[in-house]
Amino acid sequence: MLTKFETKSARVKGLSFHPKRPWVLVSLHSGIIQLWDYRMCTLVDKFDEHEGPVRAVCFHQQQPLFVSGGDDYKIKVWNYKLRRCLFTLLGHLDYIRTTEFHQEYPWILSASDDQTIRIWNWQSRSCVSILTGHNHYVMCARFHPSQDLIVSASLDLTVRVWDISGLRKKNVSPGMGGLVGGDDHHTRNPELFSTGDATVRHVLEGHDRGVNWAAFHPTLPLIISGSDDRQVKLWRMNESKAWEVDSCRGHYNNVSCVMFHPRQELILSNSEDKSIRVWDMAKRICLHTFRREHDRFWVLAAHPTLNLFAAGHDSGMIIFKLERERPAYAQHGNLLYYVKERFLRRLDLTKNKDVAVMQLRAGSRSPVYSMSFNPAEHAILLNTRTHNLDNSTYDLYQIPKDSDPQNPDTPDSKRSAGLTAVWVARNRFAVMDKSHQLVIKNMQNEVTKKVTTQPCDEIFYAGTGMLLLRDSDGVSLFDVQQKRVLGTARIAKCRYVVWSGNMTTVALLSKHTILICNRKLERLCSITETNRVKSGSWDDSGVFVYTTSNHIKYALTNGDHGIIRTLELPVYVTRVSGSSVYCLDRQATPRVLTIDPTEFRFKLALVQRKYDEVLQMVRGAKLVGQSIIAYLQKKGYPEVALHFVKDERTRFLLALECGNIDVALDAAKALDDKGCWEKLAEHALLHGNHPVVEYCYQQTKNYDKLSFLYLITGNLAKLRRMMKINEIRKDYEGWYTNALYLGDVPERIRVLKACGKTSLALLTATTHGFTQEAESLSAHVEGGVMYEPLPNAQLLQPPVPVYPSDTAWPLLTVAKGFFDSAVGSGKNAATASAMALSVDDAGDVAGDGWGDEDEEEGDLDVAMEGGEGEGGGWEVEDDLDLPPDLEGVSTAGAADGEDGYFVPPPRGHPPTQGWTQRSHLALDHVLAGAFESATRLLHDQVGVVNFEPYRSLFLSSFAHCRTSYPGAPGLPSLFSYPARNWRTATHKDHLPALGLKLSSLMDRLKEASQLTTAAKFTEAVDKLRGILLAIPLLVVDTKQEVSEAQNLLRVCKEYVVGISMELYRKGLGKATPEEQCRSLELAAYFTHCELQPGHQILTLRTAVNLAFKMKNYKMAMSFGRRLLNLGPRPEIAQNIRKVVQVCEKNPVDEISLQYDEHNPFTVCASSYVPIYRGKPEVQCPLCGASYLPEHRGITCTVCTVAQVGKDCVGLRISPLQFR
Amino acid sequence: MKLAFLRGTGSRTDTMANQDVDELFEVKNSFYIGNYQHCINEAQKLQPSTPEIRQERDIFLYRALIGQRKYGVVLSEIKPSSPVPLQALRLLARYLQSPDGRPTVVNELEAQLSGNVDLSNTALLVVAATIYCHEENYEGALRVLNQSDALECRALMVQTYLKMERPDAARKELKTLQEKDDDATLTQLAQAWTHIATGGEKLQDAYYIFQELMDKNASTPVLLNGQAVCFLGQAKYEEAEGALQEALDKDPNNPDTLINLMVLAHHTSKPPEVASRYLAQLRDDHKTHKFVEDIKIKEEEFNRLVKQYAA
Repeated sequence: MLTKFETKSARVKGLSFHPKRPWVLVSLHSGIIQLWDYRMCTLVDKFDEHEGPVRAVCFHQQQPLFVSGGDDYKIKVWNYKLRRCLFTLLGHLDYIRTTEFHQEYPWILSASDDQTIRIWNWQSRSCVSILTGHNHYVMCARFHPSQDLIVSASLDLTVRVWDISGLRKKNVSPGMGGLVGGDDHHTRNPELFSTGDATVRHVLEGHDRGVNWAAFHPTLPLIISGSDDRQVKLWRMNESKAWEVDSCRGHYNNVSCVMFHPRQELILSNSEDKSIRVWDMAKRICLHTFRREHDRFWVLAAHPTLNLFAAGHDSGMIIFKLERERPAYAQHGNLLYYVKERFLRRLDLTKNKDVAVMQLRAGSRSPVYSMSFNPAEHAILLNTRTHNLDNSTYDLYQIPKDSDPQNPDTPDSKRSAGLTAVWVARNRFAVMDKSHQLVIKNMQNEVTKKVTTQPCDEIFYAGTGMLLLRDSDGVSLFDVQQKRVLGTARIAKCRYVVWSGNMTTVALLSKHTILICNRKLERLCSITETNRVKSGSWDDSGVFVYTTSNHIKYALTNGDHGIIRTLELPVYVTRVSGSSVYCLDRQATPRVLTIDPTEFRFKLALVQRKYDEVLQMVRGAKLVGQSIIAYLQKKGYPEVALHFVKDERTRFLLALECGNIDVALDAAKALDDKGCWEKLAEHALLHGNHPVVEYCYQQTKNYDKLSFLYLITGNLAKLRRMMKINEIRKDYEGWYTNALYLGDVPERIRVLKACGKTSLALLTATTHGFTQEAESLSAHVEGGVMYEPLPNAQLLQPPVPVYPSDTAWPLLTVAKGFFDSAVGSGKNAATASAMALSVDDAGDVAGDGWGDEDEEEGDLDVAMEGGEGEGGGWEVEDDLDLPPDLEGVSTAGAADGEDGYFVPPPRGHPPTQGWTQRSHLALDHVLAGAFESATRLLHDQVGVVNFEPYRSLFLSSFAHCRTSYPGAPGLPSLFSYPARNWRTATHKDHLPALGLKLSSLMDRLKEASQLTTAAKFTEAVDKLRGILLAIPLLVVDTKQEVSEAQNLLRVCKEYVVGISMELYRKGLGKATPEEQCRSLELAAYFTHCELQPGHQILTLRTAVNLAFKMKNYKMAMSFGRRLLNLGPRPEIAQNIRKVVQVCEKNPVDEISLQYDEHNPFTVCASSYVPIYRGKPEVQCPLCGASYLPEHRGITCTVCTVAQVGKDCVGLRISPLQFR
Repeated sequence: MKLAFLRGTGSRTDTMANQDVDELFEVKNSFYIGNYQHCINEAQKLQPSTPEIRQERDIFLYRALIGQRKYGVVLSEIKPSSPVPLQALRLLARYLQSPDGRPTVVNELEAQLSGNVDLSNTALLVVAATIYCHEENYEGALRVLNQSDALECRALMVQTYLKMERPDAARKELKTLQEKDDDATLTQLAQAWTHIATGGEKLQDAYYIFQELMDKNASTPVLLNGQAVCFLGQAKYEEAEGALQEALDKDPNNPDTLINLMVLAHHTSKPPEVASRYLAQLRDDHKTHKFVEDIKIKEEEFNRLVKQYAA
């Protein structure tokens, strides 16, 4: 039993669950009805109108109503929304034991000590029927959930089943939906002792003492009853009769309440013997007993849909579950493994493919508690906890690789006792046994070592070689190998541990706390929840998304957290990806919930200072709101908050806060408020941004400050203008001050004069020696008093500004934050991005252009490649299962080892040696470093005599045959020899991996082809020769590839011959007619090399031009026609057509050549003369180039390595050729 | 009986058998996986509780310095007055420092070994085996190592067998190692080496071992190269590239990394210049490396053959 909630109160006599909300009604012996929220653990309301104990209480299924009945004979119907009693139903003459709403009809059923059962219509607020027959207190009466039946239990030792179909027919007119009250006749005058409405169908006799409770099975025709004879009886009924099936004995005091489990084959009963018992309905044996120390149990209730129960006892009530509802699951990458109904299932989260991979071994009643998955070995540990923890076991399963999802296998498991088993390494797991000792076991479930740890009561996974050990007040990170604690985090009763994908952070979940730590278990933050924390998962960006019993929430590692959405029912998060939360519900059904990740992404971006993302989200404007602004201000991101604010005043204040004067200025302009200007002036002055200060002063017409500002910034011109303004405004004081600032004496005299201080003006004039002024003034001075200027008076002039600064004072160059620039130039940013976009576009366009070209080339090459298809791969066909090697030798060695005298075993042979023995392919010999035999093979197979060109091929191939890995420090590294047949290779058939592939030679041919097109003939020939040389060092697997290689060889040869000829032609002079003639001949031969159409067009064009120039019109015509047949580009075609037309008029040849276009020929690769078919010729054994017989024995000019005319086996590049 | 062995991770477990925690664990561990700098840092941080541990710490400290090719430091710090085991390290530093002085060092070593060898002086045995292996005198190395029961000596024997191309013998030796302490880093490493030598599906197991060691400790060129070799053996070139790039970042001059990168370049059809650049780097910095020497020999052989056929 898992207690979820407990209350303390007076004796609890009645209980009712709300069908939807997490509420339970509790009626007390003290007369109070309590409404509890069992999820939040709070008392929602109290209803106190009954006098004396309230024994009965029941929620309505749809309406915000409940009904109660008490020892004051009253049935009260309440509205919990209005929080008051709506009306009272009077009629019973004694205590009321139970009350119940009907599921459908507006009926209330009540049972009373007055020996009657009454049915009331709560809409008409009247009694519909009175059921009499019991001859003692009726302790309980219940409606059948779907049929027109009532079951009642009485202290008269009977249980009665009543048929109320008559009542229903009478009261509920068809078509009225059943919700309309009965007719007047019945509502006004319930017929006492009427037999028509409700008849007794069965009387169940069997209990020896009074029966306290009876209840229907929700679906089956079964009744359960509990009695003071301490028995629980199960009854079965049909249309005609009812009989006792069995009794459950075990309670040793009065059974107060009994019920069927709504969904399982279980019976729950409670009793005054202070226990709740759970019985197996089929076997009628007691499965569990839950005892309390002092409290007698009185009542039980089951939640209509959830697996929750409530039980009332002497001092309160408990809400409990019979078993954990958390499915066991483990997640790895995109795969979720979970247990559902004795199957291990695998859900591919990306493909949403859910299959059962295996059936679990039978044997344990208890569900799987937790699991630990090992991706390397594809193995899984399933922990099963029994009610008695000491009997807990774990199973080690090897998950079958492929299994029929319809009927999965039941693989054998290795089962042992132990509380928890988790993986600590690829092939090791740790088991905590019932005495809380830790052992490490291997894949065979054998103990490899015992580990002594500090006292702990649970272990969790913590990566390779690590474990988290839990004790009552914390969790420690324990290194299993070193047996050392590396870190400790304090958290009370940690229940679950969730590691982030890269194992850098961990969330420790306890009932109400989440503690987030780093890899070393150093605390990053902790979060306290009021609701129970259920599960969590790390999102790819490092946000922890977790569920409580009613919310999905997020937490950042800095401690910020918040609600993402609410939940109807608890779910268990398995993975979070983007806006999808993958979870399992309590039925272990995978679900995907969609969340809006904007808020936490935004906060995360802020924390990580990824301002571009922040800005993007801000511009997306999904999260404007006061709360976000407050959050930003509080967390010290006023510059970000600035973005959200549309309200100018807030914007202004935020701008000041983050010192963004420009934005503040804009806002101030919009506001145009004196206070703002002053504030801005103040801030701008602090920044030294005096143009803004000036602007502010101008706006507020603060002339004094403005003047002083001009003075200190040395802006004398403006200062003078200020003076003029003051003069116009007749602000004498300001005028005079400005004159003083400027050191302008005449002006001062003017001011004094203007404001009527003539004597002062006179004094000023005399002091400064303005005699003319003084004279004119003295005339005005009344009384003719002349003040003598002080004899030692000095003229003080304001200092002359050295450097008038009209721009703002230089600021420290602070690297502009992302937002400063973004704020300053929102539009610029936009244009910039637009520009980026346009560049992209340009790129696309260019790309297309390139692509087109590529396609052209591609066409050419595809044609060139012929029917090339990528070969099968590495596997070599011979799948010989050879026995493990060298067993005999090793035993011999062992014998040596056992002796006192140690004899080192003889050295073995590296795999390279085997290569030369097994293979007759040149490359294998080269790779093995057996150059001697390699050269001999090449000599015999393709007649190579000049090996110098092979130098780099040989040496680089040899260098690539082995990899190197360091062993123990200081020792020379070990070599490993990658095999091409590595999957199946043993020491006996090991063959080296291949670097040189036919496909890469094909690629090189493409390059050569491009070079040819670009007329880079020398480079092209080099490239083609490289390919030619590499071909004998190929190894291929199929006949097709062999012929492709031979084809490739031929193509290369044709090109090399042709291009060499062209090079030779270009080297010829053009001076003499003979040379010109030879040139045309060579051009003509060139057109007969088997080139790609594209290239042939080029050769033909050259030939047409040459022939035409030399007035060999007939030849030119014939070349031109051949060219047109090849389908050249339209403009070329047009051109050629013209040539052909011209030639057709005069189809004669000026010069005769050694060229017969109609007689097939090959060209001698040495002398470049045609060898017509049937004439003697010799060939190069490697490339197949043709030569006149007199060239036998020379080194081939095409491939440069082989001896012309040598008699050879031929190209050997595949093991197939040796079969 | 078995439990008595379970605790040991190094050679000197007997002195610490009663202690719960191996003070030198971190030092040794980081040394074995080639995390020399961390080994040195840890060794310098450590407050040894007994003189024996101090001495052992010094051994690992100097070995780590040798691992970093800082032979001069070792030679200047180990004085003739220093404890006997450290003298062996001096010998090793001298051997590795100059190829010319090697015959003398080998002679000195032979002289030391011909006398009564203190079998508890694991350092000397390890040094002797190391030098013999460099001299390709594997039989000599095995004779030296076989005398000791220390885990490290046994691990070196595994490697020596592999050098001799005797994976069967290596596997057998590995079994004794696993019986001693299956979880020790050296055992794990030795197992990985053997797996690589066996090839086939065992390559994946070797990969997991390296990955586990990286998870537990840190990634080092040693472990990364091990992994890369597994990948190359399985024709997983992309993964190999990742591992090798990381190794290259950590130590741009590691010969193993260079060799493996060269092989990788070949198999991924990179232009031949890439591979030849790595080879040139190898020739520059690791003249005496077996790999470079092999290539030199092959070049000469090739020259001979060219002449032979031209004649």
